Amino acid sequence: MAIFFYLFSSLMILSSIGVITSRNPVYCVLWLIFTFLNSSAIFIQLGAEFIAMTIIIVYVGAVAVLFLFVVMMLNINLAEIKSQLLGNRIVGACLMFVLIIDFILIVKSALSSNSTISIFHNQASGKLSNTHSIGAILYTDYIIVFQLSGLVLLLAMVGCIVLTVRKREGVEKQNAHKQIARTIEESIEIIKVKTRVGVNGINYK
Amino acid sequence: MESIISNVTLEHYVILSCCLFSIGMCGLLLNKGNVINILMSIELMLLAANINFVAFSSYYNELTGQIASIIILAIAAAEAAIGLAIIVNFYRACGTISIEKINKLKG
Amino acid sequence: MILAIIFFPLIASIITGLCNKILSIKIASIICTTSVVISALISAFVFYRVGICGEVIHIKIIEWLNVGGIHADFAMYIDQLTSIMLITVTFISSAVHIYSVGYMCDDENVPRFMSFLSLFTTFMLLLVTSDNFLQLFFGWEGVGLCSYLLIGFWYKKDSANFASIKAFVVNRVGDLAFIVGIIFIYSYFGSLEFAYIFGKVPALAEQKTQVFGHNFYVIEIICFLLFIGCMGKSAQIGLHVWLPDAMEGPTPVSALIHAATMVTAGIFLLARCSYLFEYAASILGFIIIIGSITCLFSAVIAITQNDIKRIIAYSTCSQLGYMFLACGLSTYEAGIFHLYTHAYFKAALFLAAGSVIHATHEQDITKIGGLRKFMPITYVLFWIGSLAIMGIFPFSGYFSKDLILSSAYLSGTFAGDFAYKCGIMAAFCTAIYSVKIIVKVFHGKQSEKIHHIPKESPIIMNVPLIFLAAGSIFAGLIGKNILDITTPITGFFKASVFTKEFKLGSHTPFSVEIMPTIVAITGMLIGYIAFSTNISSTISKLFRPLYKLITNKFYFDEIYNYIFIKQNDQLSQKMNFIDNKVIDFCGPVIVTIISYNSAKKISSIHNGLINFYAFTIAIGTVASLSILVYKYVL
Repeated sequence: MAIFFYLFSSLMILSSIGVITSRNPVYCVLWLIFTFLNSSAIFIQLGAEFIAMTIIIVYVGAVAVLFLFVVMMLNINLAEIKSQLLGNRIVGACLMFVLIIDFILIVKSALSSNSTISIFHNQASGKLSNTHSIGAILYTDYIIVFQLSGLVLLLAMVGCIVLTVRKREGVEKQNAHKQIARTIEESIEIIKVKTRVGVNGINYK
Repeated sequence: MESIISNVTLEHYVILSCCLFSIGMCGLLLNKGNVINILMSIELMLLAANINFVAFSSYYNELTGQIASIIILAIAAAEAAIGLAIIVNFYRACGTISIEKINKLKG
Repeated sequence: MILAIIFFPLIASIITGLCNKILSIKIASIICTTSVVISALISAFVFYRVGICGEVIHIKIIEWLNVGGIHADFAMYIDQLTSIMLITVTFISSAVHIYSVGYMCDDENVPRFMSFLSLFTTFMLLLVTSDNFLQLFFGWEGVGLCSYLLIGFWYKKDSANFASIKAFVVNRVGDLAFIVGIIFIYSYFGSLEFAYIFGKVPALAEQKTQVFGHNFYVIEIICFLLFIGCMGKSAQIGLHVWLPDAMEGPTPVSALIHAATMVTAGIFLLARCSYLFEYAASILGFIIIIGSITCLFSAVIAITQNDIKRIIAYSTCSQLGYMFLACGLSTYEAGIFHLYTHAYFKAALFLAAGSVIHATHEQDITKIGGLRKFMPITYVLFWIGSLAIMGIFPFSGYFSKDLILSSAYLSGTFAGDFAYKCGIMAAFCTAIYSVKIIVKVFHGKQSEKIHHIPKESPIIMNVPLIFLAAGSIFAGLIGKNILDITTPITGFFKASVFTKEFKLGSHTPFSVEIMPTIVAITGMLIGYIAFSTNISSTISKLFRPLYKLITNKFYFDEIYNYIFIKQNDQLSQKMNFIDNKVIDFCGPVIVTIISYNSAKKISSIHNGLINFYAFTIAIGTVASLSILVYKYVL
């Protein structure tokens, strides 16, 4: 069983490195999709199959596809590695090194002390499936969180539309309210036409 | 061999998550001048957080972590959407999405 | 009810001052005048109680200061000296209030004027009824302030503004010495109350102290400083430069402040602190010298002046010299008596001059003449005032002036002799300049420069004048015979003024008694002849340099300007440079420059690249994480 963990985790590391180092942005997105798939396998290993499937549906099916849409829509030049940011890169690399060391230290010290968490609220039971157990608490104990996240998604939707809507020039639209609210004074003007003079020379408003 | 292929403990998953996070941060800092790359690195970091949550939830038999994971999923999706909308807008306005040209916040 | 003496004018002043634009001229005048008249009636009643029946009133109004060892109250302490000052101040003030209703009738700022007059009255009353140095100083400063406000009443005139500032600044010089004197008093006596100090003076009479390396008696230092304050307030020589310029104010102001009341605050201080001054013999000698020099000096200048009010101003200066002379000779009763009579006839003279100015709108006496036909009442009143100032029997000036000159003669010291000679010469000059005004203004032919016919003043202006003229006639007789002012110790001022050794023992010879009158009559005749004809102009042409010197007031103003004002100007320009270019530069300007430039540099961190921002966030996060790891894990 452990082998699967090592397999999937090494693949995940490799593909994430591929995400950040690919030249072609489409390749980047594809590597990202591969990362997601591997992570989903990890989740299944952890016994959270609902989460795994949800990841594939939402991340891969929606977010990555969205990325692909945008990448292909925008004309992205294949960017070169800018040499003038070399100093930056060295500092960045050191930073990462430090970060990784920090993480490992923290993990080693925290998890080796065998501290136990005392609250065991919602136990995962072996009899119920993951989906069942999540559903049991999501709509009862965590209802507010659920609703709020729905609101956030609504906000995102509205935000996207607001950001990207464009008015097209030259398009005539009907405004029914304006049409109904016409008054006589702005539509009709009654002009007395003089006899033997005719309609020439009348100034229309 | 047995010492290498040992039992997979919580430590392993957390270290995996940390590595993933640092790789995402790497992508953020050592980027190639593309904004899309930055967004993808952010997705990686969120994924790392996800794994962390689910790992802890699984090893301590606590379902709150998985709920958190679902929420993170929703938030990540929303944030990716809005980020991309901004990028599309910016591309329309400035014709390029190179990082060095996006400096309208200069002050 | 006795508190009403002070508070009625105060309240009237505050009401008229605050409702300056709301009240009509009539109502404002009525409020202020009635309050001062009520105050006058009450002080008459108090005078009866204190002066004639001989009791002393001491009312504590409110406790003012009780810090450290200083204890000062607002109190009313009325003894005989105060009561006579109360009469003087309130009666003259009421007369001036009534007069100014008529005089300022065509001015639109009358409520402000009335408010200031009443405010002045309040401060003067606070000054004379005080029982400690602090309240006296408060009144002292207050009358200086009101003098400033009233001289500069027509503030649109530049000369009025300059004159008011000059008056205030010169007063301030005296006040500085006064304050230092008060500090000395406090540090040596330990209290500021008169009763305590006057009781302790004999104990400290021999104490000496070191000032600038020389030894002086403490009492002498204190008295010297207090006298400098008096010099500033009462326009003695050296600090007299503000008095002629103070004539820029309206004539009622000159009558009230610069004739009868404010300038007499110095004499009042001398008489009140007679307990102190009696132990400082050399300072008394100094006072005599200063007083006599002033007396002669101003009288001489007054002969050559051509502005009515200026002549009368110098005349005031000269008479103040007489009063200081009297106080210096330890005959404080004579000084206060002369103050009392002088208030009447000087105010009468000023108000009569005001009538002339009101009728002709002209102040230069060379431009007016022959008013005798048109303003007979004013003419008579002017004569009454002039005769009183010259000291002709039985007008009031005779008694007081005679008493002063007799004491000077009998004192026997060098200073007394010098004072006697100066006093006689000043009496001579007094007669000359008084007659000069009368001859030039009322006699002679009518000037062509006045186009309209001058009318007599309205009745409201003449009634106070008549009252003051009556005072000039009878005040002397009343004072000498009824009130027994001139007898020291057992006379009117029982314990309020103090004389250490009773010097006057012998009787004055008749020649000395009659000398002032002879001198005055001689001066009158000479002046009449000189100014009616051309003799005066011939003399002035003959002694041209001397005449120029005297007309230009002995160049006092110019000398002061050169010594003090110019140096002050240069110093203040240097200070201005330092203030603007150095201090301002080191302060706000440098801070501005530094903050602007550094902000510019710092704000260049915001280069707008998201890359850089993310980088910064990452650095911050990793750094804090590392610190935590370092602290807790390692």
